[in-house]
Amino acid sequence: MNIFKNLYEYRELLKTSVKKDVRGKYKNSFLGVLWSFLNPLLQIAVYAFVFDKILGAGEPNYAVFICCGLIPWTFFSAAVNRCAYTMIENGGIIKKVFFPREILPISVVTAEAVNFVISSVIIVCFVLLNGLGFYWTWIFYPILLMVLYFFLIAISFFVSSITVYFRDLQHFIGVVLQLLFYATPIAYASSRVPSQFSWVVKLNPVAYVIEGFRSIFIFHSIPDLLPLIIIVGISLFFCFIGYLVFSKLQKGFAEEL
Amino acid sequence: MKKEQYSIVVDNVYKTFNVFLDKSNTIKESLLSLFKRNQREKRVVLDGVSLNVKKGECVALIGVNGSGKSTLLKLMTKIIYPNKGKIITNGKLTSLLELGAGFHPDFSGRENIYFNASIFGLTKKEIDERLDQIIEFSELGSYIDNPVRTYSSGMYMRLAFSVAINVDAEILLVDEILSVGDQHFQEKCLNKMKELRNEGKTMVFVTHSMGQVKELCNRAIWLCDGKIKMDGKPNEVVEAYIEGTR
Repeated sequence: MNIFKNLYEYRELLKTSVKKDVRGKYKNSFLGVLWSFLNPLLQIAVYAFVFDKILGAGEPNYAVFICCGLIPWTFFSAAVNRCAYTMIENGGIIKKVFFPREILPISVVTAEAVNFVISSVIIVCFVLLNGLGFYWTWIFYPILLMVLYFFLIAISFFVSSITVYFRDLQHFIGVVLQLLFYATPIAYASSRVPSQFSWVVKLNPVAYVIEGFRSIFIFHSIPDLLPLIIIVGISLFFCFIGYLVFSKLQKGFAEEL
Repeated sequence: MKKEQYSIVVDNVYKTFNVFLDKSNTIKESLLSLFKRNQREKRVVLDGVSLNVKKGECVALIGVNGSGKSTLLKLMTKIIYPNKGKIITNGKLTSLLELGAGFHPDFSGRENIYFNASIFGLTKKEIDERLDQIIEFSELGSYIDNPVRTYSSGMYMRLAFSVAINVDAEILLVDEILSVGDQHFQEKCLNKMKELRNEGKTMVFVTHSMGQVKELCNRAIWLCDGKIKMDGKPNEVVEAYIEGTR
């Protein structure tokens, strides 16, 4: 596969574009990297208030509960959303310089993964503040991160290349993500979903990852590994298909943008 | 004929661009345009171009605007792909089509050297080795640690050119960029290009400066309406070109 050779040869480009992305985000802003914490904190406060205090979600440790759902979700939705724009944003370079185009979606997903790891400090803070303490199940954190990462890489190949030809996809993705937010057990536990709708959650890969974060941080149990392994398998398969689609479509990028 | 002696082999390349009268960007529009195909027009930009560039040759592409020079250069860099025909390149290739691609205005000149050089496929170690040389060539001095957005346009171009020229590629593709900075810097660039030529690098130029063609190149190709009209010694081709376009 050409992609591994390309990625190896252009590893510095991947590294610098991730760095540029992560560090450039808050450059020149007064609070800088603090925004990485303020944004999710504010969101958690709002959701915790609406769903727990007003609607009465009834989960113990609700702040930690929503934290474990919202922060991975932010990673997922930000990565998918930004992949839809990355080719158009970088149109100037694509039209003028040759480099392996797959670097762009991969660096977006990787940069968002780095942001996720930074934001995870919030999860840890909430866990400790609620007296849940350190627990050995935390060692599954990198595995859950990897599952979500591979799933996102697969999506990113399709999304980033197809949007170049059909700009509609950007808006479509916005709508789908909004629906998915409620179809994913973020503000509620998946066990509360009525049985006739449980297939929605069962078919949602992000749901398994979020439930996984909850089991390691809140319930101190090993995440449900079988579905996670299946998700990785499917993701890798679609990474392969996605890459084929991507390399076919990328030949026309410079002319379409 | 050994393939290795050629840096660039262009074999019967044919390239058209779609000229959309009303470009469809949405699913609805493209579904509608299925029924009215005649909305798009094809314009032939390159019509069966074949040429071989030997290792160490310095080739100028000349021709009036719209004759397909830049398109040919873009095809060689693999930014775009031909409709028919093949292009094979041997060796590390750098294109100086756009200067300062990938610059981030909020980062310092030094950091941007890393961003820009990495687009050309250099590793961290290779950039470290060239860093001093690049900074020296750009003549930016202490400005190198200021954010790029504070640079004047001349300083910006000087930094960008310094990075591109120090990449150490075996094949250089250059598109009308030898008009960077002031007289002094332009001469410096020209000297650097001569130095690279003497080192045996392969170069392909697009330029409208006939002086540069004669001074720098040992072969010139005149493109006209997507076809090669003349290929030979710079003096003869330039003369015929000036005669022909008068």
